[in-house]
Amino acid sequence: MNAVALELDGLAVDFSGFRAVDGVSMAVAHGELRVLLGANGAGKTTLMDLISGKTKSTEGRVYVHGRDVTNQREHKIARAGVGRKFQIPSVFSGLTVRQNLEVAQSGQPGVFANLKMRLDTEAQERLDETLDLIGLTDEAETEAGVLSHGQTQWLELGMLMIQNASVILLDEPTAGMTAGETAKTAEIINRLKGKHTLLVVEHDMAFVRDIAERITVLHLGKVLAEGNVAFIENHPDVKAAYLGKQGIS
Amino acid sequence: MKTLFSSYHVWAYLAFAIVILALPLIGDEFWLNRVAKYLCYGMLGAAVALTWGYAGILNLGQGLFFGIGAYAMAMSLKLKSYTSMQQGSETPVPDFMLWNAEPGAPTDLCCITPGSWLWIPFQSQWVGLIVAVVLPAVFAYIMGRIIFGQRISGVFVSIITLALVLLTRLIVTDAQPLTNGFNGLTDLGWFTVFGVELDPYSKVTYMVVAVALIIVLALTRMLVATRAGTILQATRDSDTRALYLGYDVPAYQSFFFAVSAGIAGLAGMLYVIVAEFASPSFLELSFSVTMVVWAAVGGRGSILGACIGAILINMLEARVSETESLVEAWKLIIGFVFVIVVIYLPKGLSGLAHDLMSKLQSAPKLSSVQKEEAHQ
Amino acid sequence: MFDVLFIGLSLSSILLLVALGLAVTYGAMGIINMAHGEMVMLGAYVSVLANIWLGANLLVAIPIAFVVTALIGLLIERLVVRRLYGRLLDTLLATWGIAIILQQAIRLEFGLSFFGIHVKGLGSGLQNVPVPQALQGTVSIFGQDLNAYRIFIVAMTLVLAVATWAVMYRTSLGMKVRAIIRNPGMAAACGIDVKRTNAITFALGSGLAGVAGVLMAGFKTVAPDMGATMVVDGFMVVVTGGVGSLFGTIAASGLLGEFNALVAMVSNDIIGRAAVFAVVICVILIKPAGLFTFKGR
Repeated sequence: MNAVALELDGLAVDFSGFRAVDGVSMAVAHGELRVLLGANGAGKTTLMDLISGKTKSTEGRVYVHGRDVTNQREHKIARAGVGRKFQIPSVFSGLTVRQNLEVAQSGQPGVFANLKMRLDTEAQERLDETLDLIGLTDEAETEAGVLSHGQTQWLELGMLMIQNASVILLDEPTAGMTAGETAKTAEIINRLKGKHTLLVVEHDMAFVRDIAERITVLHLGKVLAEGNVAFIENHPDVKAAYLGKQGIS
Repeated sequence: MKTLFSSYHVWAYLAFAIVILALPLIGDEFWLNRVAKYLCYGMLGAAVALTWGYAGILNLGQGLFFGIGAYAMAMSLKLKSYTSMQQGSETPVPDFMLWNAEPGAPTDLCCITPGSWLWIPFQSQWVGLIVAVVLPAVFAYIMGRIIFGQRISGVFVSIITLALVLLTRLIVTDAQPLTNGFNGLTDLGWFTVFGVELDPYSKVTYMVVAVALIIVLALTRMLVATRAGTILQATRDSDTRALYLGYDVPAYQSFFFAVSAGIAGLAGMLYVIVAEFASPSFLELSFSVTMVVWAAVGGRGSILGACIGAILINMLEARVSETESLVEAWKLIIGFVFVIVVIYLPKGLSGLAHDLMSKLQSAPKLSSVQKEEAHQ
Repeated sequence: MFDVLFIGLSLSSILLLVALGLAVTYGAMGIINMAHGEMVMLGAYVSVLANIWLGANLLVAIPIAFVVTALIGLLIERLVVRRLYGRLLDTLLATWGIAIILQQAIRLEFGLSFFGIHVKGLGSGLQNVPVPQALQGTVSIFGQDLNAYRIFIVAMTLVLAVATWAVMYRTSLGMKVRAIIRNPGMAAACGIDVKRTNAITFALGSGLAGVAGVLMAGFKTVAPDMGATMVVDGFMVVVTGGVGSLFGTIAASGLLGEFNALVAMVSNDIIGRAAVFAVVICVILIKPAGLFTFKGR
């Protein structure tokens, strides 16, 4: 087994009495793709908020490659190697696709380090590769605001790739996509696997079967079960809590 | 340099530079003095565009920075004025301080009125010059760190900046013995460079202002073309996304906020050299909003556009105001123009020019493609 | 001490008069109407004109001013504000343009001055409106002689605040407005005509400003630029109180007015006003959601 890339230790948050995430511990190995399953309100998105620093946790720790990043400011956690894609795609709508990717190459995030005109050749090459990978080479000079929904999602994925985040959090990457777009998204995600560590929230079971190795099921803020696809699909507690008493019909 | 000077941008900047440098050939000193004031306003317009267009921060208190720059320079020039030399002391003391002083107070800057010692360093015009640019920038940076560090954005930033400029105005007018209150600082001396006195009504002074404007415009345009400039625009579109890419968004916002404030301070300083007064009217809300009008009409997304917008509006205003009965009508027109620009032309005149130019540029390409198709 | 508190109360009531309309338009529609002060000014001019041309006193002018400014508000909403929904900063700028237009319209007597025609009561000069006999003089309370008209204003402000509350919380319009505040998309899906409701809300806010103008005409000289600084004060109050909270607006006007009076007592009026700005800046920095809002999840 590889080294642990992301480790959560008893992570919890208390919203004046309501514990949306309640003592979650898990370890995701380097290069692993972990899927988070759970009904609405199970605490999936909140868990991502806690990892990425959007919400401050009240208990527990978050380690990225062994480094404690618990409750640091968002950009500090991002610099520690955590990238995040939101449920509603968020790109820089006033910039071109190329500029979006340029900004995403945030190796040197300081203001003064960026008072230069252009990227070096190596960075340019990586940018072109990424454009090719997400299939937006022809749209490189297009303003990101006019891209289609699917293209916007891919651009955001591309930004995470080029950001060189070692741990990538994806919140429902296929929400609102057509079947064709979903298939292409699965392809992109499968390419990320191995190089990056991924934590994916997803509802679409067909898509989950396409990409998942291990699944963690959350229920009412707690970890209910963890295992491979077959194990989870046949787990009685999961059936009861998430899929309903009848299981998948 | 492809992205910076692609296409017509460089030509637009060059043309503008040539035009304002050539104006002394056609105008007299009186007219040039007026144009020099508008060039200062143009610089101010560019400063507004930098924060508003590129950072998405609508600063409704930009007049604060202009005012600080203006007062800093005016304090130095006031001490150089003949009106400050006739108080029977070794060192200059502003005339109004004498009028406001307690009977029997020593005629010296150290202690003629409480706080008058603040004026002492301004006996050097270079202190005035440096303070005029550095103080607004430093103040804006600290302000930005506090405001943006709290993740305050949008209208709330506008309200804070607006409250701050009005607050400062009240303090300046209340500190009558120190600032001459509502009357402001008048009867100023002249700035001197290498033994040359900058007579406001001279071609030399005009050229100083024009060259300063050209340098500021060029540097600002280059600044927004850097990676940092692109990142700033990124924070405008989505500050969350930029944060999660690892950028310290408040640092970027504060940096450019400070640059914009420094430019505004420089504009205020030059304005005082040309106009020979500083007054609390610079700190009125209407002045700060007027700058935004200039930038909106010229184009908030273009440094040069906002600058030209400011100059054109003021030239037009001066022309219209020559007819007494039209002075009030002009304000009415400005009101209408503003509403129409905001609704129908959010990118301003420069946006219009941009659309026009890209049509012109793409037209020949299109026709050549069509020709090829016709051949096949 | 009591007289200072009364001055504070008087200042508070004026702040609240201006802020009420803003609380409605900004709170409900999220629109910053920079022409709000000019609606107050128009209300004041309605009372001037009603007095000169109809011989009507202040009390009669109140309903007229409400109707006139509400209609003008409706017109502004139709012509400008409606086109800018979702562009908050642009609305702020466009309404600033409208503010200039309204000021100049009064100054230029609706453009008639170009033709040498002058309307009595308009123009750039200052106007005064007589206060009805019954509201002149002083009233003795707790051994203090207090200006009767000031007391009348405080009372009228309370009446207007209660009326606004009733409209927002006891009528179907208010329910629709509050639904739109929470979720405009959902409100529309539930069959609420969002555009129409917004138009009525804007008219209501403008009408309230008009009434404020009439009341102010009784103790302030009326001039075309009298409203220019009011909108700033109004916003300070609404933002300090918490956007969308009517109670917050009322409480904030009370706090800021009294604070202004107290600081002014120990220093002077200018510093009193400056202190209010300082407090507002601090409130926005420390608690951007406003003092009187309750934190949800």
